[in-house]
Order: sequence, then C-alpha cells, then structure tokens
Amino acid sequence: MASEYAVEIKDVSKMFKLYHENVRSLKEKVLFFNKRGYEEFWALQDIDIQVKPGETLGIIGANGSGKSTLLKLMTRILYPTTGQVITNGTIAALLELGAGFQPDLTGRENVYLNASILGFSKKEVDKRFDEIVAFAEMERFIDNHVRNYSSGMYIRLGFAVAINVDPDLLIIDEVLAVGDEAFQRKCLDRIGEIQDTGKTIVFVTHNVEVTREICSRVVMIDQGRIVKEGQPREVVNYYHQFMESEEEGRERGNRRIEVTGVLLLNDQDKVVKDFHTGDNMRIRVAYRANEPVEDPVFGFSIDDYRGYTAYGTNTRLKGLNLGTVSGEGYVDFDLKALPMLDGRYLVSVAIHSRDEQTEYHWLEKLFPFDMHSDITEDVGLLYIPSDVTVHPAPEGADGP
Amino acid sequence: MIDRLKDLWLHRELLFNMTRKELKVKYKRSVLGFVWSFMTPLIMLAVFSLVFSILSRNKYMSWFVVYLMAGLFPWLFFVNSLMQSVGSVVGNPGLVKKVYFPREVLPLGAVGANIFHFIMQMMILLVFLIIIGWHFSILILYLPLVMLLEIVLTTGLSLFISAANVYLRDVQHFTEVATMAWFWLCPIVYTIGTVAGVLGRYFKLYLLNPMTNIVEIYQYIIYNPRVYAAQSYVKGPTRQPPVVYLSFWGITGTIVGSILLLVFGYYYFIRKDRGFAEQI
Repeated sequence: MASEYAVEIKDVSKMFKLYHENVRSLKEKVLFFNKRGYEEFWALQDIDIQVKPGETLGIIGANGSGKSTLLKLMTRILYPTTGQVITNGTIAALLELGAGFQPDLTGRENVYLNASILGFSKKEVDKRFDEIVAFAEMERFIDNHVRNYSSGMYIRLGFAVAINVDPDLLIIDEVLAVGDEAFQRKCLDRIGEIQDTGKTIVFVTHNVEVTREICSRVVMIDQGRIVKEGQPREVVNYYHQFMESEEEGRERGNRRIEVTGVLLLNDQDKVVKDFHTGDNMRIRVAYRANEPVEDPVFGFSIDDYRGYTAYGTNTRLKGLNLGTVSGEGYVDFDLKALPMLDGRYLVSVAIHSRDEQTEYHWLEKLFPFDMHSDITEDVGLLYIPSDVTVHPAPEGADGP
Repeated sequence: MIDRLKDLWLHRELLFNMTRKELKVKYKRSVLGFVWSFMTPLIMLAVFSLVFSILSRNKYMSWFVVYLMAGLFPWLFFVNSLMQSVGSVVGNPGLVKKVYFPREVLPLGAVGANIFHFIMQMMILLVFLIIIGWHFSILILYLPLVMLLEIVLTTGLSLFISAANVYLRDVQHFTEVATMAWFWLCPIVYTIGTVAGVLGRYFKLYLLNPMTNIVEIYQYIIYNPRVYAAQSYVKGPTRQPPVVYLSFWGITGTIVGSILLLVFGYYYFIRKDRGFAEQI
C-alpha cells in the first residue's frame, strides 16, 4: 500500500555485530570456526520519522551518532534489524560523490554509468548531459579518463550527475563540505531549485548552520536515538548547547596570572545570559596574579558558532599599559550597543604577554550568551540602522 | 522474487552498462583493445592446431584440434564467468556500501561480459571451420540452444557463489581449485570413450556432471563425429566406445538441474543480499 509519506521510518532499530577478530592461533581458528564471538552494537534505536513529500529534512548529530546509518537504511543499502522503512518514488543518494566512478573510463562514460547506477536511463541522461557537464564546469575534460581528474573535478562531476538526474527523493550526506566555496554555493542554490519543484530532500551534515538555511525541519540524533525534533532554529540551538555540555573546558597557559572569574553584565550590572540587539554589555574579567607580572595584556573575543570572530580587542590595542601587575583585581570591557541579531555567541578571555609569546591564562570560548532581536524581517548577522528613500528619475532624464 | 525481477528489469540499463564496463575495463590501456577478444581464441586455435598436428596420432579421430576447441571454448566461458563473478560483490565495496541498486547486477554483469567473449570465440571457430570446408552436421543449428543451457547453468552457479563469498571468503579460493579439478572431470582434452572403459560401472556417476553433458553436446554438434571419427562408431579392436557419447538422462538431468540451480541461485542471492553492505 502506498504511504502518504515520501519516507516513513517505523520503529526502526539497527544492530551491528562487532566481531572479535583477534583469533590468535590456527588451533583457535579451527575450534571457533565461524563461531567468532561478537558484541551487539545498537547503532539506532526506536527511530520514528515521517518525511512528507516536498519537505526538506535535516539530520544532525555528533560523529558516530547514527546519522549515516539512518541514511543507508533509507536508501536500502542497509536493512533494519527491527521495524520498517518505507520509501516512495525514485531515490538519488549522494552518500559518496562519484561512488562507482571507473578510473579507466572517460568522464562521459562515467556520467552514463553513474546515472544508471542511480537508476536513470540513457534517454534521461541524454537530455541532461550538457546541463550536467556545464554544472560541473567540466566541458574541457569530459572526454578524458577519470583517473586523470583532480579530486575537485571528481567531486564536481559526481555531484552534478546526482543532482541533475531529477529524483523524487534526494538524500545528501555530508558532501557539501567538499568543493570550493563557489561550488558549495552553487550546490546550495541548486538544492534550493530542487526544493522549489516540490521534491523531497533529506540532508545530513555537521555544518548545522546550513540546515538552518535550507531545512524545513530538523531531527537531532545522539547515540542512536532521536533527542530533538522540530524547527531548525530550535533544534540547532539545542544542538549547540548539547555539544557545549559535552565539551571539556579549553583552558591553557602558565597561570602566572589567573582569570578567577568572567561575568557578562547588563546595564544594571546584573549577570545575564541573554542580550537584545542594541543592548550594552560589560565583560568583567577578575584576575589574580600569583606572582608580579610585568606588562600583561588582557583581551577578549566574541565568536559565533561557525568560528567567525564577531569582535575582539585587548588592552594593548586600546593603548593601555598596565605596568607590573600583582595581587587581585578586575578588568571591565564595556561594549556599547551590540549589533548582532539572533544567535548564540561565545566569549573567550585571555591574559598574555605584550608580544603574545607567553600565555598566562587563556579561556577559549567558555562563556556563552544568546542574542535576541525584535527585528525579524531583516536578514543577516548584524543590525545596521538604515533608512530607505526612493528617487524615481524625472521624465526624460538619463538616470544618475 | 517477482518484485526483485521487476526491480532488475528497471535497472536493465545498468546491467547493460555494467557488462560494457567489464568489457572496457578489461582492455583498458591496451593498444589493440577489443581486438584481443578475438585475437585470443584465434591464437589459441593456431597454437593448438600446430601442436596437435605434430603430436596427435589418434587413429580414430581426424581434426582433433576441432574436437578440443568445441569443448574448450565453452569450458573457458564457464570457468571465467565463475572466477569473475565470485569476487564481483566483494570487489566492489565502493558501490555496495554507498549506492542502492539490485546487487545481482554485479555477478550478472561479469557473466554478461563473458557471454560476449564466448559468442566472439564461437563465431571465430565457426568462421575457421567454414574456411577449411568443414563438413557440418545439421545439428549445428542447436548451437544457440546449447549455449543458452550453459548460460543458465553458469548464471545460477555465479549468483550462488558470489553471494556465498560475501559471508565466507573461502568460496573464492575454493572455486579456484575446484574448477581446476572440474576441468579434468570433463572430457575436453580427452575423449569420453577413454574414461568409459576405465570407469566401467561407475561411468553413470561420471555422467552426473552437468558440464560433461554440455561439453558432449557441443562436441557432437560442432565436431560432427559421425564424419570425423566414424571408425569409433563401427568397431574397434576392443570395442572402443564412441568419441562423443550423448546420454538422454544425463542431458535431461542437466537441463532440469540447470534451471533449478538458476532459481535456487537467485533465491539464495536475494535472501542474502540485505547483509552485503555490512559484511564487506
């Protein structure tokens, strides 16, 4: 019976047998012939997911959480130990780009072979051949042997085939991480076009910010179980918090001066974790010098989750000379009118020598805060106050 | 099983492409390329003709080399198909672990490429026979049917061993030695008459070998022993049995057995192929 879903995963669990391979002697081999002991490893447990036609579902999770296993179940490469996976329509899976490329055939021959592996006919490929080659930017090399291709060419061609053959369901695993930025952008644009035609997409990635951009729904998996499901923003934020709690504190330095505490304060000098666009922020760094230190530099930076630094400065850049520091005290950094829109940011704090050769105490991205904004219509990372005026050219004029 | 056949039908183009790939990759980077697919049998024919025109003094048979080729080319098809298909699934982890497609395409593609070579070889042999003015039997018209029978047997066995090899890699090595022994169990370089005399009442056991029966049919319809080994049909000093011996029950058994093996082989393959990606 046809299901109303493009993909329906019903109560699926998947167990792998981890065999003990360390059989030492021939005697053992004979004694335990084909009866090697194994441990059960449950890669997925009790997974229920319905993907509606036309939906773009993102799956995120740490390494080894079971994402790829889940995709392999959807594409019928693996089969569930218990439960059912039902799919409707043709599937193109980009689990690995150029899987099955034959190095000794030409690019042209491989396009046809690869497309037929994905289940598409010569006629369909004929129609789209030029499009595929143009997308991969491979016009010059299409009749060369694939063995002579660079890894970038290999990947571009693989992606071009899979994405241009017009499947009902497109499954993408972590493949956008490859290729240069321009090509990644192009792939995302193409995915957008596919979404517009009402095709279903299932998307797995470590780059969770991308899911925010293209997915209509996100599922987060950890240790083989669904831990969160819903709106991309919600799930991605949860993911960040989750990963954070998993992380060990990243501290380093010789601690001749120590940071004894960091506070993020608002205008009322209250410790808060949430700021609004336009708020002021004070970063208070309390220190204790375990021995007198000559001319240290205090600094901070604010990074977002992609690792981009939104802003950072230190006492040296501000032209301060602290002289010899001993005993305890604190340093305030006053930030006026935070311009960032929604998102989670991390503060790093450091004390180091003037030439940055000696690190006294460095606390990397240990202090998170959330930005909120009432501005929902605008897009981007920062709020830039702006006005719009329109000036129609007067009749008969040539323009500016 | 019906669903699987439908799925396979949908992927028929992939099967075709896989076969072509096998052929192309085989002759990769060789200057002569496809020429080799008929050079090889041609050179074999020439070498064996030369060797047996000097060595063979069989008073019952003329043109022993034709007798030899009539059995050897079908045998080579059989053994090459098995050897290529047994590792076809295991040898393609990049595909099996990363893409869905009906996995039977892999062994079938290997067999398909060998069918192509086999047809080439048989055509070379027939052209050679026409050139030397061979006295054909009308039974030569059965040739496509016999080839079909052999293909059915080979395909069934290929499906079975390629799937079994995923779970037990010993199958690959076993196939290698087993086919070598099997070769000597078939009357290809010797005649069935010689073993009939030696085996006595165990001769019936010898006829259980399906490849024996298939090889016998090839020899009968191509070599045409009634013309070229006529003496063996009359009488010999010790009532030498005929050079080619067709057993009704042997052949019937081979036909039925081959079809059953194909059904069983395919059934076994699709029972096992769900675990392929995990096992490779």
